[in-house]
Amino acid sequence: MFFHIVLERNMQLHPRYFGRNLRDHLVTKLMKDVEGTCSGRHGFVVAITGIESVGKGLIRDGTGFVTFPVKYQCIVFRPFKGEILEAVVTMVNKMGFFAEAGPVQMFVSNHLIPDDMEFQSGDVPNYTTSDGSVKIQKDSEVRLKIIGTRVDATEIFCIGTIKDDFLGVINDPATI
Amino acid sequence: MSGEEEENAADLKIGEEFLKAKCLMNCEVALILEHKYEQLQQMSEDPMNQVSQVFEKSLQYVKRFSRYKNPDAVKQVREVLKEYQLAEFELCVLGNLCPETVEEAIAMVPSIKYKGRGLDDEKIEKMLSDLSLIKRFE
Repeated sequence: MFFHIVLERNMQLHPRYFGRNLRDHLVTKLMKDVEGTCSGRHGFVVAITGIESVGKGLIRDGTGFVTFPVKYQCIVFRPFKGEILEAVVTMVNKMGFFAEAGPVQMFVSNHLIPDDMEFQSGDVPNYTTSDGSVKIQKDSEVRLKIIGTRVDATEIFCIGTIKDDFLGVINDPATI
Repeated sequence: MSGEEEENAADLKIGEEFLKAKCLMNCEVALILEHKYEQLQQMSEDPMNQVSQVFEKSLQYVKRFSRYKNPDAVKQVREVLKEYQLAEFELCVLGNLCPETVEEAIAMVPSIKYKGRGLDDEKIEKMLSDLSLIKRFE
């Protein structure tokens, strides 16, 4: 889910930027430093939408650098366990399939795909029901439920399931 | 953090911080990101180079999965759903997935059925029909 939240960060600024455009430099540096990063607690920072406040700067002893506490509003994407969302299938293999929801990668194991769907190898590997009415392949849109998340330093990875009511393919690229 | 272990969006256990935060529906995010992208476009020739991969992927995602495109409709969805005492998170899940039946809505957001919410099937039904009405007149 996307959230609009306020975060705080201490920004270190080199003395050469002190002047009329100090605030602009701070904001530019903040965007460069923060946008696109990911933390386990807040998820992916997609975009900064505004600056709430820039606190008083503190000069670091010996270096001349100044640290400013900056509060900023941003849009983050944070997946939660138990959340249901839509995703695009990116790769299918006999172990299951990978899907993407915005910046987040997800994997659905073949144990968590309904039992009546079988893996078909070939040019376009896919999972298909025995009557062929439902097919999951690359670029399919699926609705899945997140059952686990793994967080490492720069990424959040999710495990999902489509083995539940109202989950599964919502849009098959082959039928459009 | 103890909250980490118990995290479960189905019971609305998403941590104090996110529970209080403002959630955004995909369509709202699309409006914001597109606006920001246009601003970047005016400033430089090659905006795709300026933005992070996270931004690019998010923009593609929300464009693909926005149920409502028209800014007025997006605003209306939020207003309609606000009348039903939903938590921010629930509101956005419903706005994103647009369930068609009461059963489906409860499967998507199990917490709306909990006691003390005052949301019976009839009310949920009404909510869903309000939503589909917005979609139809968009």
